[in-house]
Amino acid sequence: MAAHTLKKSIWSLGRIHCHIYGVNVRNPLNRATYATALSTNHSSQNKGFPDRGNKGPFNRRSRREAGDPRTDRMPVDQDWTTVYPTATPFRQGSVPLPVRMGFPVKKGVPPEKKGNLELIKIPNFLHLTPLAIKKHCEALKPFCTEWPSALDTGAKCDEHFPVKVECKDYVSAGTSLRNPSARIVHLRVSLSACVNYDYAMYLLTVLYHESWKMEAWESEKTVADMEEYSWEDSPSQKNIMSTLVRMQVAGEGEGEAVREELLGRPEVQEYRDSVTRLKNEGESESSMHQYRDAVKKVLNL
Amino acid sequence: MLLLAGPCFIFVAKPTEQHLGQYYTVPPSHFHTVFPHGLPPRYQQQVKTFNEGCVMVRQPALELISHLKRADYSKPTLRYLLYGVKGSGKTMSLCHTVHYCSTQGWLVLHIPDAHLWVKNCKELLPSSYHASRFDQPIQASNWLRNFRTTNEHFLSKIKLRQRYVWTKRESTEEGRPLGELVDMGVSRVKSSSDVVGAVLKELRLQAGGTEGGFRLAVAVDGVNGLWGRTTLKKEDKSPVAPEELTLVHNLRKMINNDWCGGAVIATLSQTGSLYAPSSAYLPQELLGEEGFDSMDPFVPVPVSLYSEKEFESCYLYYLDRHWLQHPHSQTEEGKKELIFLSNRNPSVLERLCAFL
Repeated sequence: MAAHTLKKSIWSLGRIHCHIYGVNVRNPLNRATYATALSTNHSSQNKGFPDRGNKGPFNRRSRREAGDPRTDRMPVDQDWTTVYPTATPFRQGSVPLPVRMGFPVKKGVPPEKKGNLELIKIPNFLHLTPLAIKKHCEALKPFCTEWPSALDTGAKCDEHFPVKVECKDYVSAGTSLRNPSARIVHLRVSLSACVNYDYAMYLLTVLYHESWKMEAWESEKTVADMEEYSWEDSPSQKNIMSTLVRMQVAGEGEGEAVREELLGRPEVQEYRDSVTRLKNEGESESSMHQYRDAVKKVLNL
Repeated sequence: MLLLAGPCFIFVAKPTEQHLGQYYTVPPSHFHTVFPHGLPPRYQQQVKTFNEGCVMVRQPALELISHLKRADYSKPTLRYLLYGVKGSGKTMSLCHTVHYCSTQGWLVLHIPDAHLWVKNCKELLPSSYHASRFDQPIQASNWLRNFRTTNEHFLSKIKLRQRYVWTKRESTEEGRPLGELVDMGVSRVKSSSDVVGAVLKELRLQAGGTEGGFRLAVAVDGVNGLWGRTTLKKEDKSPVAPEELTLVHNLRKMINNDWCGGAVIATLSQTGSLYAPSSAYLPQELLGEEGFDSMDPFVPVPVSLYSEKEFESCYLYYLDRHWLQHPHSQTEEGKKELIFLSNRNPSVLERLCAFL
């Protein structure tokens, strides 16, 4: 699985293309190096400034020459965990792979790894090869305890540990650590395995009484906090009531009696059901049709 | 199944069920008066090309017209909302209904696209009437000009019931004709938004009145633009809410059903809407909670794609006008291809046929 992760991480690191254009003769010791057709000039002296013999305005102590990159001296069967023991940024001189990354400029190819900031910016899993993970496991073993030998079948585990709690963790490369799906925890209990009936009843009674207690802050619940839409006291009810009153459907008169009478009518009930369905279930053609019929009936069309 | 021998052209003031699927011609004289600003742009091009304006009689428009015929105008206003997928013919149905209303002698208040008032406004003046609101002089004066063209004959008949004071020196007295108010709004661009508000208020008060009463049809296209967000910004870069715009504030008052003697016909539009996903077409998605609660209770009228019969009729109309030039399009095979490519969506069909 770790190898799979590594492979996946390498192939999914943006646009990486491995081009092997043929073996370059520039390898007298016959080590396996990869050559690219677009190799740069490797002259490392002087970097463009003529040698003034350490005199003149650009007086710099002669720089120590940069040596060959480590990749040239890497045997094929080396221990990779020593190259990348921990999570470190990408070092192009330490990774013997001809990776390329970046936007191909002017119909060219993606830029090579030398001096490539894109490869340095992204996270890499070069420190998590299967071998490295094996070593981690080996190092952690002294701190682990043995699995109890008596729990060798699934049935025995269920019998002794009937409550199972399942948490999920999510890993992704992104702007935020948080993943809302990680907040969901599953707790499984097999009902037939419940042993302590009295304790369960006690718990349920406590929860029941506890749920009836009203906290002071609960009275601040607003319409936006409600889990589902309730038609009573909603703008929809007010609108339809005022419309019906103005249409003088119930005859003359104001006040509570008229309101009660209107609310009791079947058309208004139907209208209430259709609006509640629209708001709670969301819209669809069928709920829209139901609303349409209800409105037509209520407004006597 | 072909129920007509060809597209039938009729001029009906009162289309009925029998005329479903047939085309009726709008007299050319009506185009400038009734539709100075209402028609979809591609349809306007088609009218110019064909030298005539033919509208197909379809079910949603017929339903609206039958409701309008039977409604009781002493009760609070009924709101009708046309909804459907993009290109299904909502604006055309609205225009058909508007044409019917104007032939019946109603006063038509047509707002071609409410979205135009909540975006791309170059000049936003703080309102003189209400401190926290903003005026849009250009949009308001444009609309007043078009309103004047549509309702010439009403402007001298309706008298104002209240005195309006514009500045220290200017005011419009009670009893003056509405036309004077509208002219003032067109000429004095700075106060045109307030003039729009005054015009709407007067019409609201006087529609359905007993003496010299007229019926008022408020037709709003893209009504979902009145709720939601705008793309306009104040000077300190904070966003402007729709209710802070004078025009939107007054129009919302028209859409309420606290007046009587007319009808409100509105369409939803996703094209041109702001911050709405392109697949949204159902009322609650586009209106939002606030919009739905304001429009509630309304009669939703769904506009569907062409039925088989309507597609036949449209296809035959294009053939008749020699619009389909490609030889393959005139065969049965070509017709099946057109059905497949357009999925009987009216606007897609129109765009496809424009290439042929």
